[in-house]
Amino acid sequence: MRNVALFFIFMVLFSACEQEIEIDLNSADPQIVIEGEITNQKGPYTVRISKTVNFSASNQYPPVTAAVVTLSDDLGFSEKLAETAPGVYTTANLQGQEGRTYTLKVESAGKTYTAICKMPNRVEFKGIKAEEIAFGFSTDTLYSATPLFDDPIASGNNYRFIQYRNGERDKSITVFNDNVNNGKANERPILSQEFEIKRGDTLVIEMRCIDKPIYDYFFTLSQSAGQGPGGGTTPANPPNNITGNVLGYFSAHTIQRQTIVVR
Amino acid sequence: MEKIKTLLVILLLGMVTAANAQQKFTISGHVRDKASGEELIGASILVKELPGTGASANEYGFYSITLPAGTYTFSSSYVGYAEIIQTIKLDKNQSIDWKLEFGTTLDEVTVSATKEDDNLSRTTMGTEKLDIKEISKVPVLFGEKDVLKTLQLLPGIKSAGEGNSGFFVRGGAADQNLILLDEAPVYNASHLLGFFSTFNSDAIKDATIIKGNSPAQYGGRLASVLDVKMKDGNDQNYNVSGGIGLISSRLSVEGPIQKEKSSFLISGRRTYADVFLQASEDFKGNSLYFYDLNAKANYRLDDKNRIFLSGYFGRDKLGFGDNFGIDWGNQTATLRWNHILNPKLFSNTSFIYSKYNYDLKVSSGGSAFNIDSEIKDWNLKQEFQLFSNTRNSWRFGFNSIHHTITPSRFETSNNDDNTSQISRYGWENALFVNNTYTASPKLSIDYGLRLSAYTILGGDTYNIYDRGIKTDSVVLAKGDFGKTYAYLEPRLSASYRINPQSSIKGGYARNTQNLHLLSNSTSANPTDQWIGNSYNIKPEVSDQFSLGYFRNFGNNKFEFSVEAYYKSMQNQVDYKDAADINTSPDVESELLYGIGRAYGLELFLKKKVGKFSGWLSYTFSRTERQIEGINNGDWYAAKQDRTHDVSLVGIYQANPRWSFSAAFVYNTGNAVTFPSGKYNVDGNTTYYYTERNGYRMPAYHRLDLSATYERQRKGRFQSSWNFGLYNAYGRENAYTITFEDDPDDASRTRALRTALFKWVPSVTYNFKF
Repeated sequence: MRNVALFFIFMVLFSACEQEIEIDLNSADPQIVIEGEITNQKGPYTVRISKTVNFSASNQYPPVTAAVVTLSDDLGFSEKLAETAPGVYTTANLQGQEGRTYTLKVESAGKTYTAICKMPNRVEFKGIKAEEIAFGFSTDTLYSATPLFDDPIASGNNYRFIQYRNGERDKSITVFNDNVNNGKANERPILSQEFEIKRGDTLVIEMRCIDKPIYDYFFTLSQSAGQGPGGGTTPANPPNNITGNVLGYFSAHTIQRQTIVVR
Repeated sequence: MEKIKTLLVILLLGMVTAANAQQKFTISGHVRDKASGEELIGASILVKELPGTGASANEYGFYSITLPAGTYTFSSSYVGYAEIIQTIKLDKNQSIDWKLEFGTTLDEVTVSATKEDDNLSRTTMGTEKLDIKEISKVPVLFGEKDVLKTLQLLPGIKSAGEGNSGFFVRGGAADQNLILLDEAPVYNASHLLGFFSTFNSDAIKDATIIKGNSPAQYGGRLASVLDVKMKDGNDQNYNVSGGIGLISSRLSVEGPIQKEKSSFLISGRRTYADVFLQASEDFKGNSLYFYDLNAKANYRLDDKNRIFLSGYFGRDKLGFGDNFGIDWGNQTATLRWNHILNPKLFSNTSFIYSKYNYDLKVSSGGSAFNIDSEIKDWNLKQEFQLFSNTRNSWRFGFNSIHHTITPSRFETSNNDDNTSQISRYGWENALFVNNTYTASPKLSIDYGLRLSAYTILGGDTYNIYDRGIKTDSVVLAKGDFGKTYAYLEPRLSASYRINPQSSIKGGYARNTQNLHLLSNSTSANPTDQWIGNSYNIKPEVSDQFSLGYFRNFGNNKFEFSVEAYYKSMQNQVDYKDAADINTSPDVESELLYGIGRAYGLELFLKKKVGKFSGWLSYTFSRTERQIEGINNGDWYAAKQDRTHDVSLVGIYQANPRWSFSAAFVYNTGNAVTFPSGKYNVDGNTTYYYTERNGYRMPAYHRLDLSATYERQRKGRFQSSWNFGLYNAYGRENAYTITFEDDPDDASRTRALRTALFKWVPSVTYNFKF
């Protein structure tokens, strides 16, 4: 009897059913998407330029070829990037450094797009703490990872974390800033809903120290992705640091990695 | 304060002297249910010799009629109750209480013919009074009869989502409804993420909703007033009533403390899904439940003085082990003093407390963080009702509320310094006067004025932002008075009787709103936070014009109405794109402001009496906003915008034992933002949006069925079984639509519809003794 009642309650409360449906979505004029990165790691660095497609189209994004792409720093160094594959532009000599400000300029089809980004100083990534969580209704013991670092006293630090479990990348977006706990040791775990970490997994976390506009960009993306009850936040194109009304971002950031085996 | 007093005295003297011209006497008293002693709100007292002359009992069951000396035949009646007729010689002021008896079966009910067309002569527009007995017959989710869900079947009132107790009135947002429980504002009227409302219908006597054209004694919200009144408690006999359902159970006890002098009511409710959860090994340590408690007591000091004390306490808890927990709830308390100063002048003084808070905790190992928020009010309301003569009645008084608002703040366990929460304080004041004037048997006018003010009180620093960029700040020390916003709100409505069957009504009302709910989702979330006016957030203002045509058919068995409205709104608040609502140091930096407009047409056909009763309602509406910084500054559909809504409710009393009911709803989709394209960022498919709320959700429709079986009465013991089926034909209505990569085919993306409920059966056993 208890099982019947239990079954019933769950039918009612948690029996959301999902189904793929057809929706008539408008087509939009193709928009330019610029995705540029420079890091404190050794180059080459790439800038990818592509275009949007309609929702119903296949996931093939037309590259924007023959663009003039230059990357320069605040010391007067400038480099024109070579198109190494259609829509992929690569540096040859430039070496990213902490604290430098970089400018990306893209000229394509008679239009110029400019982005400026400062590479923040690195905050030392000290390690990973994996802890059991009792979230949800999974029967396995699951873990969450907390990146260990000490936020500097000056406010305005922004971070992005990317998890890899046995080499597989977590697709969700995790960004932190120091609005909370400025100047303190981090205690916030990375909460990723569909990325289960179990005992014995090898976990690699990449920590990026990012500029504020990049935090805003990825924070907005992460909010639009999360769909709470009733639809969640109204999604919007994330605000970015590129002039000229294009999609994408240009990020100068530091990269550090730590690895643990979950025990 | 001195000024207010002087003003009141002048007002009072003016009205009393104007009314005293010839030899007149006043008959006054209360109208009550004979069996329970409950006051009958809105019961009518008519003078047979003077057609069209009479009075309605006010919200405390008090009435007062002043007539020239003479002998009159009075009739007292109320829907569903047997009429009482009595001849009274009026040669001095008389105090007469009426005790009406509830009709035992439908056939025996005699309803006063003269008042059946009350809907035509009343000046009130856009007003619906819910009959609690009727609510129990309308099918609802989980078989839990619910005021808020029944309201959503009326024209102009829309549900906020599947099974949700949140509602939108005439294009207003959910926070633009003033929800009062015994005069105390209820800041979050939903339980279990909206599947239940905070109103336990066992404890409720009366619920009235006014869609924007409220008289001057109400204020503080733009879209509507939902005035819910708790039962006072039976002052004749002890009663126990309750219900046992699959999800929740209820129990109420009421009775006299001293017969005919004082009484009490206690009513409680709890869900027990979690009891079953505990039975399973997998879910041990998790919790998911709510409970609430209504309690009320009243005491008649003498014929002229009565005191009421009522309270509500409700709490929801949701938790996964020790790691995650959220609990939220409302608390209200109301102390009221009814005082009859003289047969024509009724006074009510209320002292009201109300609070809503939530607390969300997440912990993992040694670390923990929490987000919480609270709003707390102390509220004093004084209202006088003056029944000066048969053509004029007045209401006037003041309302003063002290708000303490603690905004949402994200805190962690190793956080010990600067980011601790600072509460903000606001002081809201209003003065109001309203006159209901019967100019002729055909024309009646209700007009009034409300002066409302909101003062920012010191204790915090207020930053000033220009589109999210801080430009200045104002430091207010504790005890300092900050900026005061004041508005004059005129209200007017009039009714003109064209012929015995029909009338036209028109109205205008200005409303202002000083508290704003910040919500980034369409449904009611416990984590939505309230915020007061500041140097950035100005009072919201609305001006609503409405026009209606009312007609009764078939000897007043059918009521038909059509109402149209246009509303313009100022100082509307919305989050900017990319708003960070939990961790940003000052949420005001994440807000944008603009204007709104809403218009619509509401049709309503109702059959009130007979074996078969029910209604058909249709609403056409639009609601749009224009906010600089959103959607390129162009007008866009608000998230509650929905063009067509239809509901059909039928109740069939087959015989004294069995009654059946059905409710069908159909609506076109809400405005929603869908992608118009896609691109790739960082290896993930990302969606490209061209317009805010430029798309529509698919149409929604659903049929609910319910059957009630009244068992044979055994002495005092009455019981009934209620069987319900929600979503009878199993329509999979879209709750959300999400977009994602197809897991089976990486080259394409797909739209995924999530539907919440297919069929939800329910069984409830109700009893009373």
